[in-house]
Amino acid sequence: MLYFSKWKTLFIIVALVIGFLFALPNALPKDVRESMPGPLQRTINLGLDLQGGAHMLLEVDITSVVEQALENERETIRQEFNDAGRLRTNNLKVDGNAVTGSFRNAEDVARGMELLEKLSVQVDPTGLGGAKTTKVEKLSDRNFKVTITPENIESIKKRTIDQSIEVLRKRIDPTGTTEMTLAKEGADRILLQVPGAKNVGEIKDRINKTANLSFNMVRPESSSEAAMRLAAEGKLPPGTEYFLQQSGGGLIVEKRTKITGECLKSSSEGLHPTGGYPIVNFTFNIKCAKIFGELTSKNINKRFAVVLDKEIITAPNINSPITGGSGFIEGSFTIESARELSLLLNAGALPAKLVIVEERTVSAELGNDSIQAGKIASMIGLAGVAIFMWLSYGIRFGTIANFALLMNIILIAASLSLLGATLTLPGIAGIILTIGMAVDANVLIFERIREEAELGRPPVNAIETGYRLSLAPILDANITTLIAAVTLYFVGSGPIRGFAVTLAIGIVMSVFTAVVVARLLTATWLRRKRPKTLPI
Amino acid sequence: MKDISLVKLLPTHPKVPFLNLRLVAAVISVMAIIGSIFLFVNKGLNYGIDFTGGTVIELDFGEEPRPDDIRATLAELGFGGGTVQNIAPAATENKTYDFVRVGIPLQTETAETGATAQQDALRKVQEGLRESVGEFRVSSQDVVGSKVSGELRTKGMLAVGLALTMVLLYIWFRFEWQFALGAVFALFHDVILTIGVFSLTQIEFNLSIIAAILTIVGYSLNDTVIVYDRIRENLRKFKKMPLTDVLNLSINDTLSRTIMTSFTTLLALTALYVLGGAGLRGFSFAMIWGVFVGTYSSIFIASPLLILFKLKRGVNTGAAKD
Repeated sequence: MLYFSKWKTLFIIVALVIGFLFALPNALPKDVRESMPGPLQRTINLGLDLQGGAHMLLEVDITSVVEQALENERETIRQEFNDAGRLRTNNLKVDGNAVTGSFRNAEDVARGMELLEKLSVQVDPTGLGGAKTTKVEKLSDRNFKVTITPENIESIKKRTIDQSIEVLRKRIDPTGTTEMTLAKEGADRILLQVPGAKNVGEIKDRINKTANLSFNMVRPESSSEAAMRLAAEGKLPPGTEYFLQQSGGGLIVEKRTKITGECLKSSSEGLHPTGGYPIVNFTFNIKCAKIFGELTSKNINKRFAVVLDKEIITAPNINSPITGGSGFIEGSFTIESARELSLLLNAGALPAKLVIVEERTVSAELGNDSIQAGKIASMIGLAGVAIFMWLSYGIRFGTIANFALLMNIILIAASLSLLGATLTLPGIAGIILTIGMAVDANVLIFERIREEAELGRPPVNAIETGYRLSLAPILDANITTLIAAVTLYFVGSGPIRGFAVTLAIGIVMSVFTAVVVARLLTATWLRRKRPKTLPI
Repeated sequence: MKDISLVKLLPTHPKVPFLNLRLVAAVISVMAIIGSIFLFVNKGLNYGIDFTGGTVIELDFGEEPRPDDIRATLAELGFGGGTVQNIAPAATENKTYDFVRVGIPLQTETAETGATAQQDALRKVQEGLRESVGEFRVSSQDVVGSKVSGELRTKGMLAVGLALTMVLLYIWFRFEWQFALGAVFALFHDVILTIGVFSLTQIEFNLSIIAAILTIVGYSLNDTVIVYDRIRENLRKFKKMPLTDVLNLSINDTLSRTIMTSFTTLLALTALYVLGGAGLRGFSFAMIWGVFVGTYSSIFIASPLLILFKLKRGVNTGAAKD
């Protein structure tokens, strides 16, 4: 147990030096650190609870997206059948994960089924190269059923989440300079972490707005008092919708429109050319510019409504055709709200509503206080344990144990930096706990050596036996704690994981430093001094 | 340099007849367990929002907060069930006034209020406090919806259950079944008593306490394994010695180590408890308690149980793996 080959010794020393080098950047001031070579610039990643910031778990309302997809499917079938020369159906409706209906005339069945099969490949324009997005079934007689395939539902879900993440990134970090995390979590959630976030309220506002923009023609019924009264009760003419206006009251508008948020090429806040009040400028893409040009030419002296998230911002009169593909929206904007709206429009609409199901926000001040408190507690704990070890095992063995303890902490710091692991507040607790528990292995060994020496063994023999007999209990004892730590890592969440990480690393490193590093020191000392009695 | 051991802090050959106290210990433990269960059933735990859902915000008003005004505002806004608590700043901060922690109970997520009920409540309270109490800085803000708190609850129980099972499988694999069973009883003893103490003190029971319980499990088992290991060794060494004497001898052999390690761990934990700030106080309290209970249970529960389970000498010595 006490013989170390030259190579082994060298390996241990190299490991310690590397550990020291990787731990070092954490103790250096920033400017010194930045002048070091690349790999040595890495420091421990501080969790949001230590550096301050916002952590939010967002749930994506995927059910409504799937429902919308089914509704679209139904609408597509209805239109296609209509366009294909009066192919009439009865009872066309969404039923669970499918659209069902029946052909009115028996002679339409063959033609209709063929059309449905054709649609099945086309319904999803971004679908994977012609793969079937729906399953078409002929039930009995004239009944048919079009089911969205589970694969397609999966891809709709995936697309919704990916798109939501993309839109959120543009909304929260429009300049691309913030260091933030946006990641899929589980089946229908998104994890958002913004370090050092000052204005959490603003972030929340940007999450909560879907930013669905559309330009809808205002129906003439809007000027009829009777129709408006019915509309407010929810009784609407077919193909229309009723929205409230920001300025008060409501309007009945056409449900169908080709001018949506997807038409926007860009938007920006600005001031009205004559009035000087804040407005939002927009530019359409070429396709929509043409559509909008035609629409406005055909509807001179009628009104269209600018609808954002089911609310009418403004409903101007069309005085002349707008063919340039650009214009501005005026409402009761302030400079801030105009900037906010143009930011949202630039980022695009969220494909689904997001709900904040969990939020943890910590101010940078509180985070810093936690770090300081953790530092002081570790220092005091470390000093206490070190003094106690010296008192118990004397200068020689006390120093060996304390050197092992110090190396242990350095190696924990090095591992955390190297792994890019995140240090959280409970993680600091894990380190302090490790400081207390790390000496356990050395205590076990030293106590055993004492015992063996008292049995009358000569020093080398006592030390040899002490190390040999302690190994099994040390491993048993530490593996059990390691099992608890690993379980905690896999089942725990957030900051608790940080605790599990430091605890696990601490356990592994404490066994290494006590069983390997301290043993090497002891062996070296024995070889040099060849003591007759043990100073333990 | 001359090597001297300054102090031999502990007697080198303790001969404490621990096993003679096993009946007293059994009575104490059984009473403590019954007491803990009684407390848990009747008084329950003071669950934090991790498990109940709801909102907790910590505010810094820039001056000594006025809890009564805050309470009045909460009641006015319809959050009468809310809690208000002053929190002393950590020793490292040079603040002369307290923070205030405001708790808003979980809002039911009905069809009307929607899933945003918690966030809406938070906004209402913040606006209300700004208006009627004064300007403040938010130093932390935790909002947990009912779905997430439910998941955290399940996950927490799963973590404890899974860790216990895994650890026991390991002990079973390394030792005889009597040892494994002895360790199980000791662990349940520790976990139940920890829950009991949290019920008694009504200290907030949150995710970090789950972490503490799992660490206690690890620590207590660590202690038990060390004693067991020595028992196994001594059983082989002293084949004729009565089991009770072997157990006593083994506990005494490892006693100085037990005390040393408990002491250093307590040293570090006390530093954490006193200096680590409010966020870690519950955790370090649980751990300090766990060190005591874990050490006690290794000596007075795990070891005597081996007698009760009729550990067979012959089989054990033969089957020992190393």
